[in-house]
Amino acid sequence: MLVIPAIDIIDGKCVRLAQGNFSNSTVYGENPIEIAKNFEKQGATFLHIIDLDGARLGYPANAEIILAIAKSVNIPLQVGGGLRLYEQAQKYLENGIEKIILSTVAIENPELFARLLEDFGSQRLVTSVDVRDGKIAIRGWLEESTKTIPALIGALRRAEITSVIVTDISKDGLLEGPNFDLSKKFINAGFQTIVAGGISSLEDAEELNKLGAIGVVVGKAMYEGKINLRKAQERVAYKNNLAKRIIPCLDVKNGRVVKGTHFSNLRDAGDPVELGKRYCEMGADELVFLDIAATLENRKTFCDLVSKIAKEISMPFTVGGGISTIEDIKNLLNAGADKVSIGSAAVQNPNLIKEAAKYFGSQCIVISVDAKKKKQGWKIYIKGGTEETNVDAIEFSKQMEKFGAGELLVNSLDRDGTKKGFDIELLKSIAESVNIPVIASSGAGSMQDFLYVFQKTNVDAALGASIFHYQEVNLIELKKFLFNNNLPIRI
Amino acid sequence: MIAIIDYKAGNIASVKNALERLGQSCVITSKPKEILAADGVIFPGQGRAGPAMLELQKTGIDKVIPQITKPFLGICLGMQLLGEVSEEDRTKCLKIFQGACRKFPPTLKTPHLGWNKVELTRESTLTRDIRNGSYFYFVHSYYVDTSERQIAGKTSYGFEFASIMQKDNFFAVQFHPEKSGEQGLRLFNNFCELC
Repeated sequence: MLVIPAIDIIDGKCVRLAQGNFSNSTVYGENPIEIAKNFEKQGATFLHIIDLDGARLGYPANAEIILAIAKSVNIPLQVGGGLRLYEQAQKYLENGIEKIILSTVAIENPELFARLLEDFGSQRLVTSVDVRDGKIAIRGWLEESTKTIPALIGALRRAEITSVIVTDISKDGLLEGPNFDLSKKFINAGFQTIVAGGISSLEDAEELNKLGAIGVVVGKAMYEGKINLRKAQERVAYKNNLAKRIIPCLDVKNGRVVKGTHFSNLRDAGDPVELGKRYCEMGADELVFLDIAATLENRKTFCDLVSKIAKEISMPFTVGGGISTIEDIKNLLNAGADKVSIGSAAVQNPNLIKEAAKYFGSQCIVISVDAKKKKQGWKIYIKGGTEETNVDAIEFSKQMEKFGAGELLVNSLDRDGTKKGFDIELLKSIAESVNIPVIASSGAGSMQDFLYVFQKTNVDAALGASIFHYQEVNLIELKKFLFNNNLPIRI
Repeated sequence: MIAIIDYKAGNIASVKNALERLGQSCVITSKPKEILAADGVIFPGQGRAGPAMLELQKTGIDKVIPQITKPFLGICLGMQLLGEVSEEDRTKCLKIFQGACRKFPPTLKTPHLGWNKVELTRESTLTRDIRNGSYFYFVHSYYVDTSERQIAGKTSYGFEFASIMQKDNFFAVQFHPEKSGEQGLRLFNNFCELC
């Protein structure tokens, strides 16, 4: 999370107001440029600059000094205050200002907002949401809008706003802590949320980081030495050690591994348990066992196999193939599987997923997404890729997340068996559309392909079958290779 | 004999499997008497906090757990239920540890699923011979937000959260030792040696 020092300007000077009251201001410096440079020296990576005269008057009044700040520092600035016209916004955005902060322009003047969006892109526009005693404030915090917060959230969404700065004016400049509940409303509604107003300790910043804010604007607390910038940055730095997973997939028929494997030193290369154990020793992060001849008769054989695997392997494993009822899922989980992978049944009966997630928890429900590129996007195929449906793969993925799926296993029918590499375009599209883990499958032909899929997309795991069985890629070497290429890999 | 508490919450057979691989005798039970008589107790779990607490209240296990003086190990949901409250289903929990169970923010993929590192923050018999920074297997959408002094291990997912807690005879881990290969078995073995 970013810790963003605030510089508020009145009459060319750096000031702080308390509770947005213009008659209650403290001057902290005569020269905002020096203050900005000083923040940069202290380690700031972003600055928040408000033209308070501009906000009050309705047009930028300190633009010159703000543009001079932009020239004097090497860190990006977000700037707001009195921006009501296209030309004013353009002047900033074309002269070194990274982002502009608009008040509720997006709602009051949708044409202007649409034009700015079109010309500069959503990443450069931030909407400022200012709330006082539960009501939205506009025009330099001097007026109140009649909109409620839920109504405002709806309107912001309709205006396709992605990024907001939420300020509780009644908390601003008081050093009594921010409004966590208000912040949470916007974060949970899916906005990239920066929180301002009242942040007065490292604990406040830490709490907002845990709530999912992408930044905090700190004013008075920093000027008065209550928050040390570097300490705050360290406290809320993004830390993540979750490893990318490599998952061998074993096809099983009548309790035996099909596609004969080329492990010379296995006693019985067709035994799923022995092969699974070997893969675990080699560093597999998980295993998938697919029952490829899933018929009623051999269902029991498969369940017996699952309990044998569970007894002998201390690693997570997923099972799949022909699962179509709650009863199927229950039997396999009871036999000791950690997760079940559901394909055709999820497409034909999406409610099964809702029910399964409710009964067993999302964490054990994996959806197998079998997709093939068509003229318009990717379509879902069912029955082992033999039957086309009219279901859009991206929409289906989102629906499955909503229904409670815990993970997606994405197969590209265009790449399956080709060894031409993973379908980057498909995987990127799906991984960016959902907020649950995604496993890449189909098409791996080399170690480079695995590296590439992790570098180019946000997938969490990659799956391989024959490439591992035939030792075209050695699992141990693959993991070393990925690790040496700076990926988070468990070795 | 180690008692594995059965409260209809998820894949407990894999805990039994792992203990048996270590040659440790164990019993899956929901009987207060058996739980109190065991040399050690494992409190595993997956699933939701609300129904899990209801089940514990129904069987009276919620009253038994605080009385246990033998080594006790909560796993995943079993760790979360040892805190004071959970955001999940707004559940009142067992209050063995201080702290509240909270959902990961929407800016992070949930569940937090896969192998993540555990940084050991203090010495503990539970983690004897386990290298600092070892990987363990996690699957969860909630984490325990607790005070520094109860934490024995931390993990980073967006920010640092408690992945091992310890207080007197009570241990808790957010990850699944039964699914964490060699390191997981070592942790179980350390626990069994305490019992």
